[in-house]
This record gives sequence, C-alpha cells and structure tokens, in this order.
Amino acid sequence: MRVDLTDSLSRLLPGEAFGHSVPSSLWAVLRTGVETVVAPGSTEEVATLLKWASEMGVRVVPIGTGAHMCPRYPRDPFIVLTTSRLKEIQHYEPADLTMTASAGASIRDLSTETAIYGQWLPFDPPDVPNRTLGGLVATGLSGPLWAGYGQLRNHVLGATIVCGDGRALRLGGKVVKNVAGFDILKLMVGSRGELAVITSVTVRLFPLPVVDQLLVLEATDVSELVSTARAVATAPIMPASIILSGTSDGGRLLVRLHGAKVSVEADQKSLEKHTGVSFEVRNTPEAESLLVHKRDSRINAELAVRVWALPSRIGVLLDVLKKVPGVSLNADVYGGSVRAYLPVNLSDIESSLAGLQKDIEELGGTIRALRIPAEVNASSYFAKPLVDEGELAAGLKRAFDPHAVLWGIE
Amino acid sequence: MASLLTGKVSSGMTQPLPSSVASDLAEIVGHEHVITDPDRLLVYESDGLTAYRRSPRAVVLPSSTEEISAVVGLLHSNGIEVIPRGAGTGLSGGALATPEGVIVGTARMNRILKIDVENRIAIAQPGVINARLTEATNPYGLYYAPDPSSQSTCTLGGNVAENSGGPHCLKYGVTARYVTGLTVVLAGGRIVELGGVGRDPYTTLDLVGLFVGSEGCFGIATEIELRLLPITEGVRTLLGIFESVESAGRAVTKIIASGLMPAAVEIVDGPTIEAVEASVFAAGYPLEAGAALVIEFDGTEAGLDLDADRAEQCCLEEGAIEVQRATDPEHRMKLWRARKKAFGAMGRIAPDLLVQDATVPRTKLPEVLAGIDNIGNRYGLKIANVFHAGDGNLHPNILFDRQNQNELELVERASKEIMQLCVDAGGTITGEHGVGVDKREYMTLVHGPAELEAMAAAKRVFDPASLFNPGKVLPAVEVKEANESRSN
Ligand SMILES: Cc1cc2nc3c(=O)[nH]c(=O)nc-3n(C[C@H](O)[C@H](O)[C@H](O)COP(=O)(O)OP(=O)(O)OC[C@H]3O[C@@H](n4cnc5c(N)ncnc54)[C@H](O)[C@@H]3O)c2cc1C
Ligand SMILES: Cc1cc2nc3c(=O)[nH]c(=O)nc-3n(C[C@H](O)[C@H](O)[C@H](O)COP(=O)(O)OP(=O)(O)OC[C@H]3O[C@@H](n4cnc5c(N)ncnc54)[C@H](O)[C@@H]3O)c2cc1C
Repeated sequence: MRVDLTDSLSRLLPGEAFGHSVPSSLWAVLRTGVETVVAPGSTEEVATLLKWASEMGVRVVPIGTGAHMCPRYPRDPFIVLTTSRLKEIQHYEPADLTMTASAGASIRDLSTETAIYGQWLPFDPPDVPNRTLGGLVATGLSGPLWAGYGQLRNHVLGATIVCGDGRALRLGGKVVKNVAGFDILKLMVGSRGELAVITSVTVRLFPLPVVDQLLVLEATDVSELVSTARAVATAPIMPASIILSGTSDGGRLLVRLHGAKVSVEADQKSLEKHTGVSFEVRNTPEAESLLVHKRDSRINAELAVRVWALPSRIGVLLDVLKKVPGVSLNADVYGGSVRAYLPVNLSDIESSLAGLQKDIEELGGTIRALRIPAEVNASSYFAKPLVDEGELAAGLKRAFDPHAVLWGIE
Repeated sequence: MASLLTGKVSSGMTQPLPSSVASDLAEIVGHEHVITDPDRLLVYESDGLTAYRRSPRAVVLPSSTEEISAVVGLLHSNGIEVIPRGAGTGLSGGALATPEGVIVGTARMNRILKIDVENRIAIAQPGVINARLTEATNPYGLYYAPDPSSQSTCTLGGNVAENSGGPHCLKYGVTARYVTGLTVVLAGGRIVELGGVGRDPYTTLDLVGLFVGSEGCFGIATEIELRLLPITEGVRTLLGIFESVESAGRAVTKIIASGLMPAAVEIVDGPTIEAVEASVFAAGYPLEAGAALVIEFDGTEAGLDLDADRAEQCCLEEGAIEVQRATDPEHRMKLWRARKKAFGAMGRIAPDLLVQDATVPRTKLPEVLAGIDNIGNRYGLKIANVFHAGDGNLHPNILFDRQNQNELELVERASKEIMQLCVDAGGTITGEHGVGVDKREYMTLVHGPAELEAMAAAKRVFDPASLFNPGKVLPAVEVKEANESRSN
C-alpha cells in the first residue's frame, strides 16, 4: 500500500485491525490489487475506515471468510475489509426466539449456541456452517429449506450497517412485526456488500423440529423422478424442503419432513397416497450426512452455474442441463432453481455455456454463473454491478454508497 | 401537526382541480370515473382513522395498469400529488388526501388475473378484496395466508402498501412473505416490473421487499403476484380464560418458548370481554375473566391434539381458570367471536375508539400490559386490549368521546406514553397499521436522523419530486430537509 495511505489509516484504527490475511483461495482470484486487509473491531471502526476510504478515493471489498470467489473485482487498488474481528453474540433471548450477533460470527458458532435452547436458523445454502452471519445476509441465500420456513429475508429483523460513506444506521429492531417506516432493511438482504457493510444482524430463530425425517426415492435417471417431485411440491402438505439431484450415477429425490413424530408419519402417508410411490425413510444421522453431502460435495467445483425458472419447469430445465457430459445437478424443486456443476475439462466451456444460456432462456429461465475458471471469458454470466442493474438499483446504490467505495465481490 | 384535538389536519385548504385536468382525466378513464362532486367526495374524506379528514380535489378510478400510468403521468406533469387508495380501511391515515392531491382509487381494479395452481401463485389487481383471493383459490385446495381482521373489506393493494398482518401471521408470516412480484406505476407514470416467481431472486436488490410497506409513497402497485398455500388438513382451537391479562401474557411466552408453533395466539382482555358480552355478539365468556386467550393450531391432523394438549398445559401452569376446546366448526367460530367482533362491540360502549398498534418482544408482554393499565388509570381512560399476542403485536384501544375536549387531550397524551412504553421495552411504534399521518411524529422515538434521512433517500429514488402520498410516514422535519436537499 502506498506509504502515505498506510500511515493515515494506521493512525485512525488500533493495531489489532492490521496484519490480517484472507484465504489463499481469495488471493488467487483477486491476484493483484489488494492493498491491505483491515479487520475493524466495531461498527465505529468500520465507519472510520469507510469515511477515510471515501475521502481518499480508496475502494473497499467487504468479506466474511472471503470464500466466495468471483473474478469480477475492482481494477484500482483496494482494501479488503474482513469481519473476522466482529464475532460476538450481542443478545440472545431464547424465549423471544431472537438473536443479535456481529456480522463475522459463523453460522456454525451461532448454531452451537442456539442448539442449547433447542432452536436454529432454518437456512441451508451451500457451505452454510462456514458462512458468516453478515455474509449470509449479504448474499440473501436461503437454501431449499425456504419451502418450509420462508426466505431468509423474512426472518432478518434488524441490522446495524455502515453505508459506503461511513454513516452508521440501525435498521429494523428486535421484534417480529415492525412497519415503522420504509423497509430499507430488506434492501440489505442480498445486497452483496455493494450498499453497505453489515456489522450486526438480528434474526428470528425457530424451534428445532422434534423429528427431522428424510424421505428418499432413487432412480437410474433424474428425469424419472421429476413427476413425483412435482407431485410432492403440489401436495396438500408442505415439506420442509424438496431436493432433486442427478449425476451420471443416477437420480435421487430427497423430501424433508419436520414436525412431531405422529404428524411426520402422517405426512409421509399422505405424500405416498398423493404421489402413488413409497419412499425409503432415512433418519438422522444418515439423513443428515446425505443432505450435507448433496449440499456441499461440490465445494471445490470450479465451474458451477445456477439456473432459475418457474418451479413447474424444473423437468425441462433438467432435460437441458442433463445433456452436458459429466454434469452434476442439484435442484430445489420448490424454488425452481438448479445448481449445475460442470466438469472443467469440458472441451469448450465458452460455447457450452452460450448453448445452455440460449436453451434456458428459450424456456423462460435464466442462467447465472457461480464459479467459472478465471481464464474463461464469462463476465456476462455473473450478476451485474448495481449501477448497471437499472435506474432503481443504481439510484439506491448512489443513496447508500454515494462515492462508490464499496465493491461486493460477487 | 395533524391532531386528534382539531379533528382536522391543520395545514392547507383543498384546492379545486383545474377543469382542463379534470377533462383530460375523464378522457383516460371515462367521465363517470372522475369524481369531483363535493358530496360524492365525502366518502373519501378519511380512512379507518376518522380523526383525520380532508376532502380530496378529486378521485379518479382507473381500471388497468395502462390507465393508472396515464393518470399518474397526467397528474404528475401538472405537478399534482397522487394519493393511492384501496378500500380505505387503513388505521393510520395513509390514504388521507393532501390539500393539492388527487386520490387514485383501485376500486375498479378488482380482477384476479391468474391462478397458477402448478406454481401456487396468483396474480391479482390491487383492488381485489383480501378474502376474495382465498375464496377464489379454495376450489384448488389453496388459500392466501395473510388474514387481516379487515379481510372482508380491505384490498390486496392496501395490504401490500401496509405490509399487513393478521391473526395467523404468527405461523405464516406477514404480507411481505407472500408478495413475489409486482407491477408498479412510478413517478411520471413509468411502468416497472419488480421480481416475479421464476426469476432468480439473488441477482439484484430486493425491490419487491422495499416496495412492500411503502404506504403509497413510492408508487402504485397495479398487479400483484402472490404465493398461495395448500389448505391445512386440520385445526384445533382453544380458549383459555385467565384472571388477569398479565397471566395470559405469561402463558403466551410459555407456549412460544416451549417450541410449539401455533397458527394464532390472540388475547382479548377484561374490558373487551365486558364489551362483547354486553353486545349482540356475546360469546358466553365468563364476565369476571381478566383475559381470554384464543390459541389455534393447524396442519396435519395427526399432530394437532398433542399440540393442543401441550398448549392447554402451558395455560394451566400459568393459572388459567379454564381451557375450552372447540368441538366443531360452529364452536370454533364461537370461541373466536369475542376476538373478531371486539371492535364492533366497543363501538357500542363508547362513541369513539382509537385503535393503537405497537409491537414489543413477547417476553415483555406482561410488564407492558401492566404499564398500559397504569397509564389508563392515571388518565382515567378506559383502555381495552385485543391483539396478536403471539407476535407481541399490541392493540391497546382507547375508548373516548370526541365531544369531550378534555378527554381528547388525555387520549393524545396517553397514546404517546403507550408508544414510549413499548419503545422502552425494546419494541416499536407500529407492527401492522403503518405510520401514515398518525405516527409521523413518533418516528423519532425509534429512528435517528440518519435512519430517517436514509428512508427519505430511498423514497427520492422512486419518487424524486415527492408527488406520491407526500406528508406521510416521515416526520415533517425530514420531509423539509428532503425538499431542501432536492432544491440544492
Ligand atoms: C458449489 C458451491 C456453490 C456456491 N454458490 C454460491 C452462490 O451462489 N452464492 C454465494 O454467495 N455463495 C455460494 N457458495 C458459498 C461460498 O463459496 C462461501 O461458502 C460463502 O460465500 C462464505 O460466506 P461468507 O459469509 O464468508 O461471505 P464471503 O464469501 O466473504 O462474502 C460473500 C458476499 O457477501 C459480501 N459480504 C460478506 N460479509 C459482508 C458484510 N458483513 N457486509 C456486507 N457484505 C458482506 C461479500 O462482499 C460477498 O459479496 C457456494 C459454494 C459452493 C461450494
Ligand atoms: C376493523 C379493522 C380491522 C383491521 N385489522 C387489521 C389487521 O388485523 N391487520 C392489519 O395489518 N391491518 C388491519 N387493519 C388495517 C387495514 O385494514 C389494513 O392496513 C389494510 O391493508 C388497508 O387496506 P385498504 O385497501 O383499506 O387500504 P387503504 O386504507 O385504502 O390504504 C392504505 C395505504 O395503502 C396505500 N395504497 C392502497 N392501495 C395501494 C396500491 N395499489 N399501491 C400503493 N399504495 C396503495 C394508500 O395510499 C395508504 O397509504 C384493520 C382495519 C380495520 C378497520
């Protein structure tokens, strides 16, 4: 980092904020550009840093663990702001089922605490235990459990944020129903670090289900399971999640039922009656490991896309995606999305992606890159920066980050 | 400041609409759908909060997104403010006219455009009455979950604008959870589509979420895509009778903390029971009861008795005098009656009723209820509580007589103290009725200047010239600053 900048910043923040690093995976993607990694220890320190950055014209990329990789990063030199020193649980009232914790707290640590009181955060995006609370909220991902519990955005009750220009704001509150003013809190869920740095979050928790039962159906080809999966999604009961996976080894339908023992058993019967099939039952811990495997087994995939369409189109989406040799598919049948992990030795990644995009858009769907090897020219598959997302998004970007200091890495 | 004391909003007289604008409006929507006759405008003088009244310059009733767009374009190009209006059941003065404003009503936009059974969504125009969506989707085994107590009259557009809740939102969540997409008409008449099932929700900002709850200040929702749920198999309804509202409040905390997930937990307090039992709606609640708790479970038939048993146990442990369980649908209706008819019944024992709305953390219910009781006693006012207890969403209803000037002043002071009490307990000034004109001045109890300015900035992104429902939600000082910053 340029000496004068380092000097001026080190005078503003305590020594503990410096000397940090980010995972080597992130460095690999970001390659050059990173001036320094700063770990503020409080909302005030985040505000100091961002005010300074606004004045100096320095860009800041906020990260949790920095595990989320994407080749789109600022060209100018920038600072990485890590929430690794913001980890504490600030407030937990089990009887209210609400918790406030700092943004850098890991979901694993929070879950350990809530499990003591028989409560949890019912969200299961990939790699969820390793995510930070701030990163989870910034990406907004709920995972397939949104079928039974609703999306993360509906359960974020409050947050403390620091806008790009260093203004600290306290949004929402600690109560489950709150309509006191315009809901700018909602805007932060899924804002990908582009509007503000989230420093703490209040979430609504749920009682852990008494029984967490997994129903499994297997077939040699995922397409054979589509009609059953859709029948489950339109059955008179609502499962906690409905996942359909397909690899060259065959297909699997996973239906998760939550509730008391008697009601879970009754739900299974009613699903079997409705679909005309009988499921295999897996109980914890076998069910757990199967679900975690499905969720995270491709943790190091270098080529992954997410496809989205109306839930009723899941079958045709799978038909298109299945054609890619060596593909591995994971669908959220309720949400209407499919994660496709493609082999990197695919002969021509660019034209394969272009072909997929064409077919999927014809079906009324969208395709979006999650991970793409750096050498592939694929910027059009990544989410656009907010300034290019239309007038409203661009206007909101200017309102919260007037000097365009913040740069989310997604 | 708007005031209950005056019964009117003090600033500004309504301006008549230039006749050229009126005829241009008639051109768009048809002569019969532009109302300027003062007698016919009377209906639009207030919403459900009748303390505030002002006649609009005119009311326009378009029938499609395109008509709304043309109407808004015309009005805005003449610098005329637009006040969206649904059924006018709002309880915070949200649909109150401004002196310069024209009301754009959605009464004619009452069609359900699509019911997509496969994907469990419906697309409706904003003037569709909430309960009608459930009626229309019931034949497919589906229903629309948010159920404000006004559901037989309020509109889906109003629900979106207020992010309305209802008794069953405890388990199912409020309106925001169900709105998946919107077509909106923004400043100048621009039509924009936001969200939509089938679109990747993680690629851009949650503009749908931001629009929901914007109280008509960002634009007009003209088509609403909503998620539907499958009708649940069974239901169990319990009525717990308690000596005091505090012990009923403790039972609520116990039920929720025990890991049960009731569909609804509602409290009706002693004064409300008295009012109901004295009315035609009498439900046979014991008159000496200090409070009653209506608890409902729904879902798979098989688990329900177990849940109901556990809830009953919680009530008994907190000193319930008795717990009844509905044996058939008629009995269920009876147990709900005091809750559902409370407002109507109160109307019979006092000339005026101020329905308050605030949320506190559930665990604070007993102390806050005791505090409200205290405030009522201190001011010599009768306060009846009937509310969504499971969510900690209070509705202290202050009974009074508008003709009694003295009492009016006390009502205002008591209201403000109740708000402060709820905020001090870690709560907020409104859980579902919105800020409107009524609670603008309370906003500073929960938000600092920076937060209010951020809200003003979000409004400016949608409505830079503040021509949608001005003078609502944000306190007066914030609006002034926003105007100044605009002219800079
Ligand atoms: C196969 C596979 C697919 C995956 N797909 C996705 C995917 O589609 N989307 C996805 O997000 N993750 C995805 N992940 C997970 C991801 O790789 C990381 O596990 C996860 O992002 C780590 O979360 P984190 O909290 O450390 O946040 P980070 O990875 O550090 O950051 C994630 C995003 O949130 C922002 N952010 C983080 N903290 C804050 C904060 N406090 N305030 C403001 N902004 C903040 C960052 O700028 C960035 O945009 C996937 C993982 C795998 C294995
Ligand atoms: C007896 C009674 C019981 C009630 N119970 C509940 C309850 O349980 N839960 C609850 O949450 N509320 C309740 N309410 C309040 C009220 O019914 C709700 O706020 C309802 O959503 C208002 O709908 P409406 O159609 O009457 O809207 P209106 O009162 O006409 O308007 C309300 C606000 O919405 C705006 N608006 C209306 N339509 C649109 C549109 N299409 N686009 C943009 N903005 C628009 C208006 O400008 C205004 O700011 C109750 C009211 C009464 C009278």
